Amino acid sequence: MKSINEMREVVIAGVGITKWGFYEGMEWYDFGSEAILKALEDAEMEWKDIQAMFHGSCYAGLGSGHQCAKEVGLTGIPIVNVENACSSGSSALRLAYQEVAAEIYDVVLAVGSEKTQRGAIPSKAFRPWELKLGFNLQPANYANDTVVYMKETGATAEDFSRVTVKNRKNAVLNPNARFQKPVTLEEVMNSRMIAKPLHLLHCCPLADGSAAAIVCSRDKLKRKGKAITVAATTLCSAVYGEQYIPADIRKSLKFPPEQGLVELSAKQAYEISGYGPEHMDVVQAYDTMTPSELWDIEALGFCKRGEAPRLLREGVFDINGRIPVNTDGGLMGRGHPMGATALGQIYEIVLQLRGEAGPRQVEGVKIGLAHSMGAGPNSSVTILKT
Amino acid sequence: MANEKKEIPVMEGLWTTPSSAGEEPQLVGSKCLSCGEVFFPKKPKAWCVHCQGTNLEDIELSRRGKISSFTVAMQPAGAFYKGPVPYAYGCVDLPEGVRVETLFTGCDFDELEVDMDVELVIEKLAEDDEGNEVITYKFKPIRK
Repeated sequence: MKSINEMREVVIAGVGITKWGFYEGMEWYDFGSEAILKALEDAEMEWKDIQAMFHGSCYAGLGSGHQCAKEVGLTGIPIVNVENACSSGSSALRLAYQEVAAEIYDVVLAVGSEKTQRGAIPSKAFRPWELKLGFNLQPANYANDTVVYMKETGATAEDFSRVTVKNRKNAVLNPNARFQKPVTLEEVMNSRMIAKPLHLLHCCPLADGSAAAIVCSRDKLKRKGKAITVAATTLCSAVYGEQYIPADIRKSLKFPPEQGLVELSAKQAYEISGYGPEHMDVVQAYDTMTPSELWDIEALGFCKRGEAPRLLREGVFDINGRIPVNTDGGLMGRGHPMGATALGQIYEIVLQLRGEAGPRQVEGVKIGLAHSMGAGPNSSVTILKT
Repeated sequence: MANEKKEIPVMEGLWTTPSSAGEEPQLVGSKCLSCGEVFFPKKPKAWCVHCQGTNLEDIELSRRGKISSFTVAMQPAGAFYKGPVPYAYGCVDLPEGVRVETLFTGCDFDELEVDMDVELVIEKLAEDDEGNEVITYKFKPIRK
């Protein structure tokens, strides 16, 4: 893979997001087109400036991005729809980045939007007989991995309850988050059991919503103020032997891998950007279930395996801590419109880098990292810098 | 006149059916003769997803193993699961060097623990729409 200095520089021209929540009578194209218009306004660009578009969604189906464009304008540009589970948004951004870095186009839009499906969804990651055996309950699959993590590291349910408390506290400072009220440790621990040891408030809530980012070459930038550079964007799929029960993959006892897919995607991002975890001023980790935020922080290289619970207790991951994690509330506080989520994470890093994050602003942010994962499995790391 | 209820496996070929008394059913996997990797369930194609070898043979797996992870699900993932709720499932490591995902049975779910010794049973999962009994493999703790 080429490093950032071997390709044309790609900058963030503008970003947009909708307020995430449940909206009866609205569809993904309503949210998607709203996020696009906001990103155009933020970029000080017009729709005719956009030369190509990638749209991430899990459930919107055929021509999902085209339906968003129908609400904004029909200009004949190539539109490609990206389904990459919960990394759909960051995968769309990565494709937009590649078009500009490779000098095919100068201004490209990435957008992710989702109208959350109501009721049970039979995941395509499981075979029909496994669905009959009930193996695709995602909190239960994460619960299996949590049991292993607890045994290996000594982490407790109280530890991952603190992740919820932190993220819901941050969400209160984010007007676009689905949840606007904090929760106490007791409320988390006493919430309904979903899959032992995970309670309701350890599982991220779904939501409807959209987020968009326009990327461009530096000479096409119109917006005044700090330019944000895309320093790396990586995407990996499963590595043989690593356990990922949410995607129906069990560990190989004979051939366990040297590194997992999160480590691999992070390592590639650090190599491409020339930065390491020690340089990151703000982080968006993947808290689809709260224990996963802990092991995610560890796999991304911010600390050793098993150290995250202690660092969390010490406040290291708070907004005013040494490594602020999920400053916008994360999936737990913001909600999880699957195809939009990863671009929502990137939106937050952009705001933090510009110094526009309001009451949740981290001081002196120069570089930040967003990590998302999805069924497949896949793992996607985006590093942005001023 | 009611039809006699049939027993229908959740999928054909997951386990052996004993041909004589005294024999016990065993899970059926695949073993790659090039790299030695073992898979469950058995691979539908002669293709090893570890080494890309093409020489695989069926292997009957040990009936006993150890729990590597588990959970107790308080709600089903959807209507495609018709078994009892709550239900417990997780992974069991077998001596052939393969990790199997399975339902657990034959215990109070609060007793389940990592490293617990368990053994294979074939049991009812649920009744299908025609009133037939859908059966599946499960693992239950071995009483000392």
